[in-house]
Parts: sequence; C-alpha cells; structure tokens
Amino acid sequence: MVTRAAVRLFAGRAYDGLSVDDLVNGLGVHRNSLYKTFGSKRGLYLTALRWYLEHEFEPALAAIEKSAPEDGGRDASLVEGGVLDLLLLAAVEQAPGDPEVAGLIRGALARLDDAVGVERATELLGLRLRARTGQRS
Amino acid sequence: MATVSIDSGNLVVEMEGLDKLWALKSRLEIPLANVRGATADPGMVRQPKGIRTAGSHIPNVITAGTFRLDGERVFWDVRDAEKAIVVELADERYARLVIQVDDPRSAVDLIERSVKR
Repeated sequence: MVTRAAVRLFAGRAYDGLSVDDLVNGLGVHRNSLYKTFGSKRGLYLTALRWYLEHEFEPALAAIEKSAPEDGGRDASLVEGGVLDLLLLAAVEQAPGDPEVAGLIRGALARLDDAVGVERATELLGLRLRARTGQRS
Repeated sequence: MATVSIDSGNLVVEMEGLDKLWALKSRLEIPLANVRGATADPGMVRQPKGIRTAGSHIPNVITAGTFRLDGERVFWDVRDAEKAIVVELADERYARLVIQVDDPRSAVDLIERSVKR
C-alpha cells in the first residue's frame, strides 16, 4: 500500500532529503501517477501523515489506554518501536513552516498527553529521540 | 524561465524572454480550484516526455511547449532541471505544467499555501 510505504519513507528521512526520485523508487509508482493521485510531494506527505495518525499512532495509544495500569512497561513500546518517529520528525522539521502540519502535530501531542500524562509524554518523546541516535537510556 | 503569482483566485504563470517563443505561450492563467499542488522536482526532466504537439525540444538544452503522453497534455518550459517545478492540475487543458522558476522553494510554497485540500 502506497500510503503506508510513504509513512515509512517520511519517518526515516528528512522531508527535504527525500527527492521525488526517492519517493518514486521507494513506493514503486510512476511519477505521473504519484502527481495525479496526490497532487504534489506535500500532498503525499499530508496524506501519509493523516494516515499514520489514524492507523498507527492512535491505535498504539488506544492499546496503552486499554492495558492494565499496574503493567509498568505498558508504554515502553512507544520507545522501542518506530511509532513516534513520524511525529518527531514532523514536529521538528515540517510543523514550524507549515500550519497544516502544525495543526495535526498539536492535536497528536495533546492526544499523547491525554493518554499517558504530559510528563510521561515528554519523557517518551525524549527517549525515542535518544533511541533513534542509538543512545540507550 | 517562468514566474508564478497568485492573482484574484488564479494561478498566473508568465513565460519570460525568449521562452515565450520556444513555448509558444506567454501566459497561463488557471483557477486555483483546478490547481492540485506543486513540487520541486529536478528529476522530472529525465522522464519520457511523449510527443511534442507544439513548441521546441532540443534534448538536454530546452524542453518547451505542449507534449502529449499517455493521453495527457503536459506543458513544459525547462532549461535548468534543478529549477524545475511540477504543477499538477485538474479539469484543465493541461494535466500538469513543468516549468522553470527562479526560486523553486518559494514558488512551491506559494502554490501549496494557496491550494485547498
């Protein structure tokens, strides 16, 4: 599925570092059909970001909320898996210059706060940031 | 080279200098409702362009004018691939425009900000 593959690409490398060549090769679609389907690279990005928030981010939070509170490491999956990666990258590189992305990211951060509390949410984002650079806490 | 601007709900693309001649077109005006997005895409010029129906094509030098590929009309005005942007359209004579602009990033931002999705 093209959108899911686009989420992986955008979560793995900076937006500006991904050329249309990279996207076309990584997604296995023709350039013209990419333009026809999504309108632009940013159109693809917004579609991927919305899909990720609905189909990856939200279910991960819902699973944490459903698990028993006494289960201590219930939100550790957010640090070990890549589920926070697109959120982190979008927050750092696209949100400051793109109000539409900023709106989506603000909503996602508020949702994360709701699910685990502001302090833990901040900690999880920091831990994932460190994990991505290979640093183990 | 072309300049892009937004004027009363339209995307206005104006060809500059001799490009008017090569492309056989000096100005395109497209309602923003029919503009789907814009992308900086230096790799676009390596794509098959199809059959030229009007304009000029000197490979590796200039691609300008109207080309037809897979049943779509595409307008080209590019010499320097690094400055090419692709503007995707809907319900227009052209399926997309591939034009060279002075500052691809700001042209893309301008168009993307103006497009409703």
